[in-house]
Formats: sequence, C-alpha cells, structure tokens
Amino acid sequence: MKKNILIALALLLPTLALADGQWVLEECTLTYHVSHPLHQTEGVSHAARGKGTCHAGQCDFLIAVPVKSFDSGDSNRDLHMLQVTRGAEFPMVTVRTHLPESSATSGTLNVDLEIQFAGQTAQYKQVPFKLETRGGETHITGTIPATLSDFRIDPPSLLTMPVKNEIPVRVEMTWRPQ
Amino acid sequence: MKARGAILCLGIFLLPLLISEPLRAQAADATLSGTVTSPSGAAVPNARVSARNLATGQSTDTQTNATGVYTLPNLLPGDYEVSVSADGFATKVSPATLTAGTNLTLNAGLAAPPAELPNAPSSSRTEPSLQDLGFPAAETQSDASKQALLDKRTHMLKMHQRMGLITTLPLIATVVASLGAGGRDTSSASRDLHVALGGLTGDLYAITAYYAIRAPRVPGTETRGPIRFHKAMAWIHGPGMILTPILGAMAFDQKSNGQKVHGIASAHGPVAIVTAGAFGAALLSMSVKF
Repeated sequence: MKKNILIALALLLPTLALADGQWVLEECTLTYHVSHPLHQTEGVSHAARGKGTCHAGQCDFLIAVPVKSFDSGDSNRDLHMLQVTRGAEFPMVTVRTHLPESSATSGTLNVDLEIQFAGQTAQYKQVPFKLETRGGETHITGTIPATLSDFRIDPPSLLTMPVKNEIPVRVEMTWRPQ
Repeated sequence: MKARGAILCLGIFLLPLLISEPLRAQAADATLSGTVTSPSGAAVPNARVSARNLATGQSTDTQTNATGVYTLPNLLPGDYEVSVSADGFATKVSPATLTAGTNLTLNAGLAAPPAELPNAPSSSRTEPSLQDLGFPAAETQSDASKQALLDKRTHMLKMHQRMGLITTLPLIATVVASLGAGGRDTSSASRDLHVALGGLTGDLYAITAYYAIRAPRVPGTETRGPIRFHKAMAWIHGPGMILTPILGAMAFDQKSNGQKVHGIASAHGPVAIVTAGAFGAALLSMSVKF
C-alpha cells in the first residue's frame, strides 16, 4: 500500500510542479500595418516582454511593449504615431490573456485578449493563433484585428486623406517554460 | 498694377480663411476628474483610474499625477463604473453619471487592503504585473509634458503641411505666369501678374517655413527616413525662395527700363526653376514612397 502511494506521488509531483510553473517570453516581433491611399506602412517592435504564471492548470499571461519602440523606418512618422496614440501619456501597450495550461499542446489556439493601449481597454474574443512546440519552446503566430476606433484614436491623415481604421498587428512570439 | 493689387488684396482676405483650422463640431463630451487620497489624507500619485462606460463596455484609463489628481476628458455622457487602484491599497469602485458638457468631480479615498485571515486559501496565485517584466521605470511612466510637446509638434507640422499644399497653387501659377513675363514681347501687365503671384507665393512660403522651423524638436530622436530628404530639399528651396524675388526685382527693373535682362538678374529664371523643383521634390518625398 505504501509502495503504491509513493509511486502515485512520484507520478504526480512533476505535474504539480508544472501546474505552478511560469512562462517567459523569449523573443517577440510585433508588426502593425497601416493603410493610406498613398502609403502602406509597417511598424515593427522587438522590445516586448512577457510572462505567464500558471496555477492549478490555469495560466495568466501578460505581454507589454513600449509604444515608442515601434519603428517604421521614418522618425517623423514614428513621432506622429506616438502623438496620436498618446504614447507619452500612456507609454505601454499591455496584452492580457487567461488560458488553460493544456491548450499549450494544441495546434491552433483561440484566445480572448484584453489590450490596454492609448488609455483605452479593448477586448478581442477568440483571436486565432498558430502554436508550434519545438525543442522545449513554444512558437505562437497570429494577427490581432485591432482598429483605431477600438482605442478612440483619431485616424491620422496625410494630404488631408485619413488612414484606414484597421491596423492589424502581426504577432510572432517564442515562449519557454521557466 | 491693378491686377497685382487685386490679387494681393484677394490673398490678404483669403489668407486667414486658408490657414485657420477647420471648425470641428464640438462634441458635447464630459470630463471626470478628482483627487485620490490615502487613509491618512495624503495624495496618491500614479494611482490607476479606469472609467468603464456601462452602455458601451469601453474603458478609459489614466493615472494620477504627483499631487494625486486625475482627469479623464472627452468621455461620452452616460453611466460609468469608476475603478481606482494603487499598490498597497484596496481597489475602490464607484458609480458615476456624466452629463453632456459637464465636469464631474469624483474624489476617491483609498482604504488599506483587507488583512488576510490566517486560514484563508493560499493567495500565492498572482497574475503577472508590469513590474514583473523588468522594464526601466522611465519607460513605463506617464510623461504629460512630453505628450504636450508631441501635441504641439504635430499641430505645427499639420499647419506646415497644409500651408505647403496651399503654397503649391500660387507657386505653379507663378511659374506659368513667368512664360508671359520674361520674353521680348511681353506686356507690363503680364509682369505685374507674375510679380503679384510671386509675392503671394513668397508670403505663403514664409508662413509654411515658420511652422516647420518653430515646431518643437523631440529630444533623443534620430532623424530617419524620407524626412531627411525633405529637410535636405529645404536647404535648396529655402535660400532659393529668398534669392528668387531679389533677382526677380532686379530683372523687373531692367525690363521696366526697356533694357534686356542682363548680369546676375538673368539668373532669376534658373534659380526659380531649381527652387520650385526642390519644393516639389520635398512635397513628393512626404507624399509618395520612392
């Protein structure tokens, strides 16, 4: 009887340890896309940091990135972006999500996201992400269908023509368990 | 001369209309403001204030300043749930009803967090916070003065852009009018029209340049991308816009005295063409991707 209990404990211990584990964002590339009748612009940031904490099979993830870290290759445009998004007043974009830990094994993940940006909070339901696990690391890619109106941002204009409301954000992340 | 006078008068009357900001419909938004204090009555800086519109579900967030004061402008009228939280205090949630065009003051006195019962379930499960991510404090803190600087910069550069576009019209007209102003058989009326249009272009150009020169610089920003070409062109069309009318005045005098344009004044045309070309290239560099 004692032997059986010991075997059961030995089998359960790694599971319990994993259940209270943490995830760290190893690498991340975020790319926003802006459409204007005269321009197609992309701004890229590699400055995001993230952490996930798991307890009893449920994980809370937080990813944050400084607004000013997005680089479109044009300093004038980046400063204008910083102004319209009130990036000095609200310098960080934060993304929060809550997932069951078991979802880390599936190929496609539909995630509910809460994004704080430009002093506003927007919810995105069931955003699909592709998930691939390689060598102990989990790679996640997907696109957040963000819009300017979600964050009450007035569309900036060039030559009196405003940009489109849609600003999809492509996400490429690599997470590893800690 | 009459034509020149008429055009100058028209320009003077139109100018305020052209440079004035379009009148925007003023939305009857409301403002929520207040002070966040600790149980001892001290101001709580950097407290997070979030107002959630109960009808739309949309939240508007801000932080208190060093004196514990917060302001949430441009809120839609309606019922709100206002949540105030700060490290070391219990979160306070209050209802608020905003009416159009009013400023509602909602002060929040935060209480100490409730003490945990000795036998309460473990509270070790914590969501990750921004502090856990290890960003330098300077990157995560709100900077209202920098936002004000950016707002002023954008406003001035928008005016610069608008004035630059407006300046293009008399600039083109001046170049077109020059075709009838410089030849052997041209009339004095054609020259007057050219001078008037050139004068209007110069005035508008000066206003355009003013907004670019006076737009505040943002410290620590490295100039990258098409703006470098745009600025390089300004070093050509800027001096050109000063030199062209000086040479033009000399050419005008020579022509009015019945002389053939000669000497340095004969450079008026080529300098004007280079100036107009640089101005056009500067405009295109900000408009079209090369």
